[in-house]
Order: sequence, then C-alpha cells, then structure tokens
Amino acid sequence: MSINKKIGLYIHIPFCLSKCPYCDFFSIVSHDDELKERYVSALINEIEIYGRKIKDMELISIYVGGGTPTVLEGEQLKEILSSCFYNFSVAEKAEITIEVNPGTIDGDKIKTIFRAGVNRISIGGQSFNDRVLKKIGRIHSKEDIMKTYQLARYAGFNNINVDLMFGLPGLSKREFEKTLKELMMLRPEHISLYALTIEQGTPFYEFIESGKARLPSDDFCSKLFVSAIDLFSGNGYEHYEISNFALTGKRCIHNELYWKNESYLGIGAGATSYLDNKRYQNYRDLNQYINLLESGILPIRYQEILPLKERMAETIILKLRMMEGLNKDDFRKKFKVPVEKVFYTPLQTLQEQGLLADNGSNYLLTKKGILLANNVFTEFLD
Amino acid sequence: MKMIQPIKIEDIRNFSIIAHIDHGKSTIADRILEITDTVSQREKREQILDNMDLEREKGITIKSKAVRIIYKSLKGGQYVFNLIDTPGHVDFSYEVSRNLAACEGALLVVDAAQGVQAQTISNVQMAMENNLSIIPVINKIDLPTADIEKVSNEIRKIKGLENSPIFLVSAKDGTGIREMLEAVIEYIPHPGGSVKEPLQALIFDSVYNPYQGSIVYIRVVNGLVKPGMKIQTMSNKKNYEVNEVGIFIPKRKSVNQLSVGEVGYLTASFKDVSLTKVGDTITDAERPSSQQLPGYKKVTPVVFCSFYPVENEDYPNLQYALEKLSLNDSSISFIAENSPALGFGFRCGFLGLLHMEIIQERLEREYKIQLIATTPSVLYRVHLKDKKVVEINNPSELPDTNLIDFIEEPFIELTLISPSQFVGGVMELLQDRRGIFKNLEYLDKDRARLLYHLPLNEIMLDFYDRIKSISKGYASIDYHIIGYQSSALIKVEILVNQDVVDNLSFISHKDKAYERARKLVDNLKTAIPHQLFEVPIQARINHKIIARSTVRALKKNVLAKCYGGDITRKRKLLEKQKAGKKRMKRIGKVEIPQEAFMSILKID
Ligand SMILES: Nc1nc2c(ncn2[C@@H]2O[C@H](COP(=O)(O)OP(=O)(O)O)[C@@H](O)[C@H]2O)c(=O)[nH]1
Ligand code: SF4
Repeated sequence: MSINKKIGLYIHIPFCLSKCPYCDFFSIVSHDDELKERYVSALINEIEIYGRKIKDMELISIYVGGGTPTVLEGEQLKEILSSCFYNFSVAEKAEITIEVNPGTIDGDKIKTIFRAGVNRISIGGQSFNDRVLKKIGRIHSKEDIMKTYQLARYAGFNNINVDLMFGLPGLSKREFEKTLKELMMLRPEHISLYALTIEQGTPFYEFIESGKARLPSDDFCSKLFVSAIDLFSGNGYEHYEISNFALTGKRCIHNELYWKNESYLGIGAGATSYLDNKRYQNYRDLNQYINLLESGILPIRYQEILPLKERMAETIILKLRMMEGLNKDDFRKKFKVPVEKVFYTPLQTLQEQGLLADNGSNYLLTKKGILLANNVFTEFLD
Repeated sequence: MKMIQPIKIEDIRNFSIIAHIDHGKSTIADRILEITDTVSQREKREQILDNMDLEREKGITIKSKAVRIIYKSLKGGQYVFNLIDTPGHVDFSYEVSRNLAACEGALLVVDAAQGVQAQTISNVQMAMENNLSIIPVINKIDLPTADIEKVSNEIRKIKGLENSPIFLVSAKDGTGIREMLEAVIEYIPHPGGSVKEPLQALIFDSVYNPYQGSIVYIRVVNGLVKPGMKIQTMSNKKNYEVNEVGIFIPKRKSVNQLSVGEVGYLTASFKDVSLTKVGDTITDAERPSSQQLPGYKKVTPVVFCSFYPVENEDYPNLQYALEKLSLNDSSISFIAENSPALGFGFRCGFLGLLHMEIIQERLEREYKIQLIATTPSVLYRVHLKDKKVVEINNPSELPDTNLIDFIEEPFIELTLISPSQFVGGVMELLQDRRGIFKNLEYLDKDRARLLYHLPLNEIMLDFYDRIKSISKGYASIDYHIIGYQSSALIKVEILVNQDVVDNLSFISHKDKAYERARKLVDNLKTAIPHQLFEVPIQARINHKIIARSTVRALKKNVLAKCYGGDITRKRKLLEKQKAGKKRMKRIGKVEIPQEAFMSILKID
C-alpha cells in the first residue's frame, strides 16, 4: 500500500439495547460490560495494527456506526477515537460521524462525544409517529428523537443527519406528511430517506409473510417519495443521492466515498474494507474477533478481488446512485476504456426505457429511473 | 430350487388377479408366493410383484410380470400356476385386456369393507370378453369394518357372477388363501391348444433391457418355441432368431423350450419394445401360423401435452430421457416443438392422464429435469368445409375458423360408484362437465352406480380432485373411450401485450369459453410481474375480445439505503434478481416467470 490516498474509516459497534424486528444489520443485544470492554480493546488493537500498516493514507472521514454505538460509555467512545487520531493521519477537516439512537444518550455523553472530536451526528429517527414507531419495534418515542436532537444542538453539533423511513406499515399519507413537516422545522443539515426493506430471516419478514402486517402499495410509496423530494428541494435541500438530501456543503463525505467506489477501511466485527480493489470482511463472531486481535492477528474472514467487469458494473451502479451520475471521463480514466465500449446495450436499453439520461458528460438516472433504480442496476450485471 | 419337469397341459393354470387399487392384489400375490415356497422368507420383499418405486408410491402396477408357481394340491397332484400381474389403472386398459387374454381365469378381489368399485366392474367386463373364468374373492375379512354379506350382494349384482361361489380371505393373516388356490384348480380350466400346430404366442408385455434388447413376455397358445428358432412378429412380418426362452420363479431362469399353454419370456434380436407390441402374435417364421391371435390393436395416445424444460440447456437431456423412457413404453409419443414463449420442448402423447403424470414425474425425479407441462389436450377431429379432416391435439394448430365445418371430440363412457349421499353433488359436477346422463342404479341401499357419457376433455382438468372432494374420497371412477362426437367447440386466443401466446390459447365448448377466459386473464394478471409499462391481457374469439385485464406498470423498487458494508451484499442481491430475470420467458417485450406459466396452465 503505497500511493498517497484519501480514505474513510468505518468503525463497527455491534451492540444494541434491543433488536428491531426488521433489522438485519450485524448487532447483538448484550448487557455484558466486560465483553464490551474487551471489544473496545480489540478495536484499539485493530486500529494500531492498521496504523502501522497504512502509513501513506489520510483519513478524510471517520464513521462510527452499528448497531448502536452509543450503548458504549462516552469514555470508551473517546478512547476509540483518540486511538484513531494517534495511529492514523486524520485530515484537518475530516468528517467524524457517530450514529445515535434516540433514548440511548444523555447530555453528558453527547458532550463527551463532541469533545472527543465528533463533528457530525446521525440520528436513527425513522418516524415521528409513536404508533408506527411501536409497530416497527423501535424502543424510542418521537419525544426521544426531539430530545436527542436538541441535546446534540445544545452540545454544539452543527451537522446533524436524521434517518427517516417510508413505506412503513400503517402509516397514512397524512401522518407521513406531518412527520416531514416537523422534520422541516427541525431543519437538520442532512436527511436520509429510505424505504423499509423486508429482509429474509428477520421477524418482520415473517409478519409480512403471515399477513400480520401489510406493506403499503408501490404506488402509494412512490407518491410519498416523490412528494418528499419536492418538499425537501423546496426547503433548500439538495437531493444528491437516491435516498439522501443535504443542505449546501453538508453532503456526507463518508458515504460519498462508498458511492464513488473509493477506498475505505472498516474495522470491528463483521466490518468490510475496500482497499486497492480488494474487499475484505472481518469475522462476525465476537469471540473470534477479539481472540484473534488479542494474539495480534488481523481478524479477516475473507478477501475478494473483483473481476474487472464486475468492478466496472459496481462503479456504475454506485455512481448512478448519485444524482450527478456517472462521469464518462472518470470512468475512462479509471478503467482505460469508454463505458459505452463495455456496456453499450444496457445504456441503450435504459435510455429507450426512459430510465437513464445522457447529459453529454454524464449518465444519470431520470426521475422514473430513481424510482426504478433496481431495474437500472440489474441491467449492468451479468 | 426345484427341478422343472416336463409339464402336462392339464396341470397348467394361467390366471390374473384383478382388483381395485388397494383392495389387496399385491398382498394376496405375496401370500401365494409364500405359501407355495416360491420365495423363501429371506428373499421376501414386502410386495414382490411391484418393483418400481413410483408404482409402489402410486399404488399401481405399471408393467406386468408373470411368475411361475408350483402348487401342490391338498387333494394330491402338482400344478403349475402362472400368475400374471395386471396394471391397475384405466389408462392401461388395453394392456390389461392383453394380460387377461394370456389367462384362462382371474381372481376378482374385492375389499370386504370397501365393496365393489367402478374399476372392479370394468375389469370383470373385460375378463368376460376374454372368456375367463372368474373367481370372486372377498379380501380383508379380518377387518372390523368388513361387511361380507353386503359385499357378497354387490358382487352377485355384477352380470355373469350372479351364481358364482365367493371365496373369503384375509391376505393379512393368510385365512382362506389355500381354499382360494384349490378353487383355481377346480374352477379355472387348463389351457387348450396343441403342440403340433404352428407356433402362436401372444405377446402380453415387453420390457427393455439394455443388454438384450427387449424381453418379451409370452403365452404360448399353440406349438412351442425354443432358442435358435426363426420367429416372426405377425403384425409387421419381421423375422428374428430366438436367443433365449425362460420363466420367472420369480427370478429369471432360462429353459429349453416353452410349449403350448405355458407362460414365460423370450429374447431375440429385438432392438426396442416398439418392435414387440403388446397383443401381437409371434409365430414360427419357417412354418407360420395362418392366423394372428385376436385382439391386437395399435395403441394410440389419447391425451397430449407439451413438456418444456425450465432451463433451456436441459433440452437435450429431455430428449434423451424421453427416448430412454419410450424404449420401455412404446405408447409414449413425442415430437419436437418450438414455442416463442417457452422455447424448445416436446409435444407428447399418452394413454391417459395418469400415464402422463407418471412420465412427468419420472422425467423430473429420475432424470432431474424441471419441466413446464402445458394444459393436457385431447385429439380433436376437425372437419373442414372442403371435406378434408385434420386431427389436431394442440389448440394452436386449429385451422382458421372460416375454414371449419365442424369439430369432433372424443367422448367417454364413465362409470362412477359412490355412496348415495354424494350422488347429488357428483351429478351436478358431471352436468357441469357436459355429461349426458345414461343410468343410475343402486348396488345396495347406500351405494349407487352412475353411468354418464361425456367429453374426455372435461375430465382433463381438476376432475379427479373435484370428485374426490365431493365424495370425501369414497367415489371410484372408471371410463373408456366410446368414439367421436361433434361439439360446439371454439378456439380462445390469449394475447399478452397484443401478441397471441399459443401456449395459453385453448379450445373450449362455446358455453364455457367466456368463464374460462375470464379466469385465465385474471390469473395471468396476478402471475405476470409488473413491467415498466402497462401490459394488457386479452382473450379473444374470432377477433372479438371477450375478456381483458391489465397488469399495471411498475412504479417503484424498494429504495434501500446503501452503505459500505453493504455493497457486496447489494450486488449479490441484484445479481440474483438478474438471474431470475434471465430465466423468465419473453413474449414480445413482456417477461413472464415460468412459475407463472405453470400455475396458469393448471387452471380450469
Ligand atoms: N386388514 C387387512 N389389510 C389388508 C389385507 N390385504 C391387504 N391389506 C392391506 O391393504 C392395503 C392395500 O393392499 P395391497 O396389496 O397393496 O393392494 P393392491 O393395491 O391391490 O396391490 C395394504 O395396506 C395392505 O397391507 C387383509 O387381508 N387385511
Ligand atoms: S437499533 Fe439499528 S442496528 Fe440496532 S437493531 Fe435497531 S435497526 Fe438494527
């Protein structure tokens, strides 16, 4: 690893207070403080090992996600971050984000985090409707969201993201619009708006299969989504990625690295990295992860080198998630071949179908294409 | 193993067991083999005569076998019994009739609790047509629910059995089996014929063997046959040299010769079973008999459907498998066909629905080929205005309406026996299926026998299941084809996005066309996934649209979040979707999953 590169760092905290029934992220419910402490030490070990290995890279972002990172003590989070500053070169204006679940944090902890160097907070709000929050198994209320938001502002955060879901069972158009209106009043710098995804193997999947819960229709959801886009745009938010919106200058640097298919290092159990065109994944099993690191060994479960064609497809898919789309020159520079040489047919078909546009320099999703992104993406795969 | 001595014709008894499914044919056969020490305890398998798994599962015997048994009579004397097993389903009635033609008698087995069933009666009729002596046997008399008096009365109601003695047995515990065997000697005549006459041997079955070509089961009616002899199959005048003759005891054993009255097997240089058709006569090529044995018929398929492999790459495997299966079953016919929607496949003909199901299952199970089977169809006779007649078994082949004078379809005579309380429901269903009532007769106070004529086509879809549910499983059915009659039939075409889809078009009676069309377009609406555009589905008769529905355009996919740890997984998910898409069949611009085709084609 030689070239001087700007990369992102992801740190995974695989603990939650309780498991949400739709969630298939890697996290466990644990009240074992000793385990958490050992985990934190292991993370620091991993940071130290990588710190020694990758000297020529600069972190332009650190993202602490989960799980629910805030189930750790403020001091533990601080320790982790300090270790990052100590072992890596962190850019001066690096974006340092932590995910916060409403109801898992108080004023002191949020201040500790702020002082530890965190400058961006991402709040897992999901909805401002208590009935629906309960229905989807969230343990917080609307009030918890509001409180967490205010605490963050009060602590000094000027870059806050709120996650919001649509397509939730039982949420009416009016209720959704109310949530949106209240969100506009809070005016977070960044909004992630995405659909509830029903993943196989989750309890929610069973609910839906067995008919205990019903998902709203596609038609309904697409209307909600389109109206949300309009509302946000009208309020000064830039729709810059399929499901992300930001006030000027507040795009999420960390996620942009993903969507541009650039390098990032992931540490923690189950975390993935993408470095030098290789993807790595760590062991998920906490004990294995911890034990390996305690013996000074990197806990890498597998690595994969993507074949060129797939790497191209992946780059296209990720870039098309961004509203500015795929820059033809960028593609040619990166792969030494014009995109049309490799993907002529899909590009053609998708334009005929009205899902993709060509503005001369870039290919980008049309309005219809945004809603039917999966149809677009699959065209590029074999 | 006992020595086989020269046999006197007077000591031979050739017989079959005829029974409705589950009335105990196999168990009785087992008991006979045991009691006569034909199989030792060690060799014994539960059911000796059935040897295909599938047969066992379906409870029917597909291919008949013959076993030679040495029976020592209680009255002294030693007899040779040839027990010929018969298939137990209507689809194979021709085979049954040829099996029976190889016998002089039959044991008619009736379950003491179930009583006479539809098939029992048709089997008796067939046995009578072959001049067999019938020995009625009531089995399972050990059952607490056995009602011997009632069942005896039912048997006595059958024409020709009014005065026969009835034997009572329990195959389970062996009660009455000996008496039944004594009755075989007493009531079943020994074979006739003369050894001096030119050879006449009836082929009553043939089985393909990869090393020896087909092995032919024969009953020698006149003369004798031995290895080295030049023989001829009389229907096609082909000559062969006999390699081997032998018997099954029940293991295969070669012998020096098979003489008049005997039953056994023969191998010659037959390449496949299509050369040795059941019912044909084998004679001496050098001293041919002047007469072929009566009853030979070329069996022709009556039910047709198309098989398409789910995976296109499986097409050669499907062809190979069909070729293999037809080596052993010359009644399967298949020709390659090509459908724009389903790709390459075969149009296949069968003796009946069950036969079709068995072949489909064997293709899927033994050859591991996933199949799409289209709606079964009968063979229609289309009379054109120019007086020409064409036979078609595929709706897509139906000539243009204004060329057609009229269409005929095969009709069946259906016998149905049911407890009286379900007769109303059954009659309603038969009415609905264009049935023509012929007769209703009570076997006893709570069981009735119904006779109907109806189009064969009407029992193709969801008929057995409906009868089963209406009668709570108590009704039994039997049918045979009685000929062709003209019907008011029309072709309904299905259009998906303005394109006619041959595999979905169907022929229907005009009174039912609308309802079926309605159901089909509704089903298609749910079976076809949303496309990027609106897809109209229409049913039409003669350019007139009679039913329509619309698959609305796809509005949105799930818009999920995408983060770093997720990229590989996301890609894999998309790849899976893509693979699913690739497997879909295309009709014009519309993509239809094959699963949809299968469910669609099953609807009534
Ligand atoms: N209780 C009783 N059961 C019997 C008797 N004979 C046959 N069965 C049972 O009836 C079922 C059907 O018998 P099977 O010989 O397979 O009938 P097949 O279909 O006519 O060959 C099996 O479960 C047998 O065990 C009998 O005499 N008594
Ligand atoms: S809090 Fe987040 S990570 Fe934890 S279970 Fe709920 S959705 Fe999953």
